[in-house]
Amino acid sequence: MSLSSICYIIKETGRNLVYNTWMTLASVSTVAISMFVLSFFLVLTVNMNHVTRVLQSQVEMRVFINPHVPRTQEMTLLQESRHWPGVKKVQFFTKQEAADALKKEFPNQKDLLTLISKSNPLFDGYNVYTKNPNQIPALASRFRKQHIVHNVIYEGQVVSRLSRLSVVLKWAGWGIEGLLGLATLFIIVNTIRLAVFARRREVSVMKLVGATDWFIRWPFVLEGLTLGLAGAIVADLVVGQGYHWLLVEASSALPFWPMATLHQVMQKTVDFTLGGGLLVGGLASMVALRRFLRV
Amino acid sequence: MIRFENVSKRYANGHYGVIDINLEIRRGEFLFLVGPSGAGKSSLIRLLYREDVPTHGEIYLDEFRLSQLRKRQVPRLRRQLGVVFQDGKLLSNRTVYQNVAFAMEVVGASSHDIHKRVPQVLELVGLSKRRNNYPHQLSGGEQQRVGIARALVNNPVYIIADEPTGNLDPETSFGIIKLLNEINRRGATIIMATHAKDIVNQMHKRVVAVENGRIVRDEARGVYGYEP
Repeated sequence: MSLSSICYIIKETGRNLVYNTWMTLASVSTVAISMFVLSFFLVLTVNMNHVTRVLQSQVEMRVFINPHVPRTQEMTLLQESRHWPGVKKVQFFTKQEAADALKKEFPNQKDLLTLISKSNPLFDGYNVYTKNPNQIPALASRFRKQHIVHNVIYEGQVVSRLSRLSVVLKWAGWGIEGLLGLATLFIIVNTIRLAVFARRREVSVMKLVGATDWFIRWPFVLEGLTLGLAGAIVADLVVGQGYHWLLVEASSALPFWPMATLHQVMQKTVDFTLGGGLLVGGLASMVALRRFLRV
Repeated sequence: MIRFENVSKRYANGHYGVIDINLEIRRGEFLFLVGPSGAGKSSLIRLLYREDVPTHGEIYLDEFRLSQLRKRQVPRLRRQLGVVFQDGKLLSNRTVYQNVAFAMEVVGASSHDIHKRVPQVLELVGLSKRRNNYPHQLSGGEQQRVGIARALVNNPVYIIADEPTGNLDPETSFGIIKLLNEINRRGATIIMATHAKDIVNQMHKRVVAVENGRIVRDEARGVYGYEP
């Protein structure tokens, strides 16, 4: 295709978009809303994944050793367990270190401090990090079977509940997005249908003088893609600004809550919304041309 | 060369547009297609530019076999033809120049070629001074000249005109015919369906008369032959 043909097609696309100003605005808005909702779920998912990752990188399992077990036995199990499948890292701590950590964590609990200072009731133990949170229960029971182990504590439920919730969220998100996508498709199809109708004389002349089918179709296809892309960009701008604001607010209101960074969120959002916008726009032009443009 | 071989066209409603047409048109000819309204002139012309496909027989146009032509090959055929209609089919939101240039733009001509060719064609049809006017600012004859310029601009081998003078007074009609004759002199083949008796009788060109879908007369230097 020659440069002048490309110029012509772009010019005609612009003509179509400007000619039907209201439909153009309506289409861009619906795409934007649809993509905004998609982004909302994406932001939520990215953040849940972020929290899950943060939790996973924290201590996952604490193994406590019976009192009065000799240090050598504790060290043997330490060395052994480091080679168990699924184990990422094992750290030994003495009951003295455990007490110090407690003191640091709760400096204002006077009763607690006197209690553990007088006679330390805590145990020696290990902090165990796993490669995959799913392996926690299996590893916990393996530790429990060791005779020197007193008990095992882990908070794996939080992680697994979080990941289950994010699956539910994902499906809910796709469900809602499917419906919104259909609505968006419908609006763009009608916008292009109006453009086809407005240009029926041009189209008949084009056919008469021997323009190829695709030459006739391109402006309408490009129109659909432009509508989808424009809507996605609007949604991205809103999401970017909105999330930036949220980060600022959250940093003062929930200082310890781990939020995903703007970069992490936007990376995913931009990919999905631009892809989604182009997809729905392109699909809509195809549907409209098949139904309303007899070339 | 155009050749109709036993061509019939039966429409979906059972009505026949043309029946058993055999016709040969050589390059460079000027041919009038005459006959009463509804006789099949327009059907024949629609078959020529492949708006319709024959239900029987075959139409050959140079290297094309029209009933075998695939949909995506139709544009290639149409670029060999320039079609002129009674109502001109001009685009009302474009100027004279833009209407003619449009026909070149949409077949992918370069803007350099367009700038060179369009003024030439407007000069030929006598509309150089009207180039920036819109169709509604033109007389009927001028509008028809724009239609002819548009049909001509891509240098087609055949000009097919379906009652191009149908809406015009006799004097303006003669102007249009003179123009088509000039175009014919420059090498294009002209096929023109018409009701204009005076014109046909005065031009002494080939006349093909159609009645009830059949060719009833084909004379090399013919006359109109019907009383209006």
